[in-house]
Amino acid sequence: MKYSIQAAMAALAAASALGMTMGQGIAAEAVQADANAKVDYQGTLSVLTKFGAQQLAPYLVGVAQHYEKLHPGVKIELIQESDDSVKDKTKTLVASNSLPDIYFSWTGSWGGNFVRGHRAVDLTTVIGPDTEWGKTLTPAAVQAFMYNGKYYGIPLYLDAKFMGYNKQAFAKLGLSAPKTFEELLSSCETIRKSSMTPISFGNKEAWPAIHYVGQLLAYDVPQAVLEKDFNPSTAQYSDPGYVAALSQYKQLIDSCTDGGASVNGTSYSSAIQTFSNTKSAMYYQEIIEFDQSASADSALKVSDLGFFTLPAPKGAKGDVKAIEGAPEGYMISSASKNIPLAIDFMKFVTSKQNGQVLSASPYGQPSATIGGASESNMNPSVVAGLKEIASASYLMPWLDTVNPPRVASAWLSSLQALTGGSMTPEQVMEQVKQAAASSK
Amino acid sequence: MANSGLARMEGAALSNAAGEPAAKAGRPFRHWSSLRWVAVAVILVGWFVYYPIVDNFIVSTTDEDIFTGETTNIGLANYERLLHDPVVWVALWNNTLYALISIIFQVGGAFVLAALIEGLGSERQRRFWRAIYFIPSAISITITGLLFYFIYQPDIGLLNAGLRRIGLEQLIQPWLGSEHTAIYAIIAMSQWQGFGYSTLLFAIAIQKIPRDLYDAAVMDGAGPLRRLWSVTLPLTREMTGLMIIVTITGAFQVFNEVMVMTAGGPNNRSQVLGTWLYQQGFIQNNFGYGAAIAAVIFAVTMITGAAQLWYTRRRRIEL
Repeated sequence: MKYSIQAAMAALAAASALGMTMGQGIAAEAVQADANAKVDYQGTLSVLTKFGAQQLAPYLVGVAQHYEKLHPGVKIELIQESDDSVKDKTKTLVASNSLPDIYFSWTGSWGGNFVRGHRAVDLTTVIGPDTEWGKTLTPAAVQAFMYNGKYYGIPLYLDAKFMGYNKQAFAKLGLSAPKTFEELLSSCETIRKSSMTPISFGNKEAWPAIHYVGQLLAYDVPQAVLEKDFNPSTAQYSDPGYVAALSQYKQLIDSCTDGGASVNGTSYSSAIQTFSNTKSAMYYQEIIEFDQSASADSALKVSDLGFFTLPAPKGAKGDVKAIEGAPEGYMISSASKNIPLAIDFMKFVTSKQNGQVLSASPYGQPSATIGGASESNMNPSVVAGLKEIASASYLMPWLDTVNPPRVASAWLSSLQALTGGSMTPEQVMEQVKQAAASSK
Repeated sequence: MANSGLARMEGAALSNAAGEPAAKAGRPFRHWSSLRWVAVAVILVGWFVYYPIVDNFIVSTTDEDIFTGETTNIGLANYERLLHDPVVWVALWNNTLYALISIIFQVGGAFVLAALIEGLGSERQRRFWRAIYFIPSAISITITGLLFYFIYQPDIGLLNAGLRRIGLEQLIQPWLGSEHTAIYAIIAMSQWQGFGYSTLLFAIAIQKIPRDLYDAAVMDGAGPLRRLWSVTLPLTREMTGLMIIVTITGAFQVFNEVMVMTAGGPNNRSQVLGTWLYQQGFIQNNFGYGAAIAAVIFAVTMITGAAQLWYTRRRRIEL
């Protein structure tokens, strides 16, 4: 018995020592793309996408098949995840040092993590603003993936948040798109009297509330203050505009939705379905969701879908021409064995022709490629939304991807509490301040 | 060869039975040679079961940045942080609540139901009711979670519609959206799903009890309740003990139900240790802290299991 215990302990200690070296993260080294590298059209490229939804999944499948046909020695393996699952999947792959050759990324601190850990290839020499490829893409979208003066991301499409509304329902009630936040609240009262839900809102996932608040913060807090607060080393979150924006958000919940607790118990997909079924008059949505809200098959027809930017409150002290949104795109893993091929594939994905397919129905994802959107085959609301994005003075990033994880988590949980009525705006800000202090 | 092998085995048995000195003389050789046969299993179990437990404890004493691969040893700081994390206490309470309610329904309730079903006269009826109660257990937890999400839906959900129809509007709730009801709604769904499985296990245990014990009890004038209390209950004690262990450990490892239905919200009020561990590790990048939460789950389930096993063995009844 004595021997067996000793042997077992020795084996366990050896396994433990071995495991410690195997299981833990391996520091990656910075890798720069070589603009002159020759592309070897052989081998397999793995791609982690955020197009797992049924409606979007066929897009990259088609693009990959087309690329494989052009280059028979290449095989593209797609790992298609949804908006929620891609976050967990990516981190699991990072923790196990198994990032695919090409992977989806948001801008802000999300993408910054890959740069900080040298997990992403520095693409400055191939996608920088003065390069051949860079000139084919919307400059602001390329700029959004810039970290420490270098470019790491390949923007695929532009995204921003707008209030979609049912034109017929508005016309029946004699309403027009509100110009101020106060007008929006009064429109909600009119709509509610007609027994229709003014705004369908699902916050079970917690991030939908962040989108309302992000837009209101852009209106109520000066841009310079916001950007200082997004940086963990300078964050203070003491501007009075924060509490003002949260109070406006609470007013919107009370006046325009079915009530805070109901909102927290409903998923965002149920909410968009309610709008699409014409059971609600408005739904706050991303431009990439316009084609899900209204289509030939839904009760809400494409011609009945209108939109406006969430109107700014009177006397707002921030930037009233800002729109909340950001481009979304891809990065190339520094551990990829075939970086030139990965770059070549992404050049193909972001070509004008593929961009036009992506921008058109049924995908409706406005391409970040210049000329990658053809008005003739696009949802007119997406076309008009793109013009709004182009005229915005500032693109307010998503609060849950621009902030460090602990601050993002504080925003998510405390905004659910504010929505449900168990926290005040001041208490929410206290939570955020505490999280920011512990993230320094 | 076979005969000589048998003879060796018999010899070994005899020497064991004959006394300690003989057994001790041959033990080291037999011990090491027998290890060869179980070595593969020992290595596999050690690598996949015990090594992760040890490694989890090591990780729990570090602060690891998965993106840079940097690991800092911080001793027991993650455990100290656990004590001051209010969400951990909410999660621990929710797990405890889960365990208590599950013991009432999935152990107590399932035992009574199994006794009722096994008391039915016709085998066809017994089979029918066993199947009826078992069906929910055959449905995937993710599908059940989605099904109940729609049942609990505030506006069009079946539950609120039913309450409205029978005139109990005052009880209508946004079940998953309210901080006060979310965890209870999840636990209720879990009972619906797990109840049939426990009932089936109790039914099997009851079937093993010799009929003549019941016949004797009847002859002694025992009624149904007395037979349940004095015959069925003591003779299913091992199964009851096992079910309590399984229920408690299951309650402290619960994850899927909560992730599918609320993801721990609203405002972290339905977090359980498993989802908070996940949130810390995979959302907030605090893998060390997540490992510390995992160590707490391990300790709770280990202690509960050991205590229950000890108690059950003390009171075992041999037939």
